[in-house]
Amino acid sequence: MTFEKKRASVKQDIPTTSMPDIVFMLLMFFMVVTTLREYTILVQFKLPEAKALEKIENKRLIQYIWVGKSGKIQINDSIVKLSQVEPLMYAKRQALPNVIVSLRIDKDADMGEVTDIQQELRKASALRINYSANLKGS
Amino acid sequence: MALMKRKGIRSAEIPTASQADLAFLLLLFFLVSTVIDVDTGIGLTLPDYIPPDQIKNVKVDKDRMAAILINENGDVLLDGKPIPLFQIKNTLEPRIESKIDLPKNKKLIISVKTDRKTNYNIYIQALDQIKQAYFEVRDQYSERTYGKKFNDLNPDNQNVVKEDKIPIIISLAEPESVQK
Repeated sequence: MTFEKKRASVKQDIPTTSMPDIVFMLLMFFMVVTTLREYTILVQFKLPEAKALEKIENKRLIQYIWVGKSGKIQINDSIVKLSQVEPLMYAKRQALPNVIVSLRIDKDADMGEVTDIQQELRKASALRINYSANLKGS
Repeated sequence: MALMKRKGIRSAEIPTASQADLAFLLLLFFLVSTVIDVDTGIGLTLPDYIPPDQIKNVKVDKDRMAAILINENGDVLLDGKPIPLFQIKNTLEPRIESKIDLPKNKKLIISVKTDRKTNYNIYIQALDQIKQAYFEVRDQYSERTYGKKFNDLNPDNQNVVKEDKIPIIISLAEPESVQK
């Protein structure tokens, strides 16, 4: 009697011809979903934390304003003066009527500065704002 | 003499064995560079701009107003009484609740006023408390009336709760310019 290992007579390899297709599909998904970082942030800031947060659904409507620790204001890719906020936002609002202004303000900023910016926004009638904040405890 | 050119039979196939590797490499790149972070924050709508000479002061019933004042040290006054920052939510909740069934022009108005020197973080905490109070009342109301949390309601009911029953009215008073 010979001891021979019994082997299944079924082929054992996984068909890999369609693997590139699957991978490409995943690739497409991630390519579409990816938004590469658009701005270089020039100011230092740390967002405040809060609990009652809302999500901004539509990313394309967002215009960011950064306010750093030192009180510098950044819009798009450059540091701007307070007096420049209104014309810039007005132009933006004309291009995008229901723009949401996301205020990314350092948590140690003064309210005076915030109010000044809000006044400029009101003059430019960009009235939908969002105080950017992180979820508390995360 | 044969004029026929002899062609060697070369294989005309593109090697596809490494295609998967290439695709994986690209995939990895996009996986790593993807940021699926959603912007979160506290939403608010600013009032329209009115030139200073056209401002009209409208008298509002004392009962409708909840005036929150925050000074530069972060002390909070609610209707003239000092309260801790983290009590704002609990204090406001019953007041919002008592006005659910009143018509729209009788709902609670929360006015937030700060000093120019007030810390932004404290202001956000106060706003957060106010929003939490509203969200809580909305949730409770939805559960009483529809048996579901506010976020699980269908859009129609959500609108009823959001617009007719418990609208969020926050008025931002300008800091006093004297204190510049």
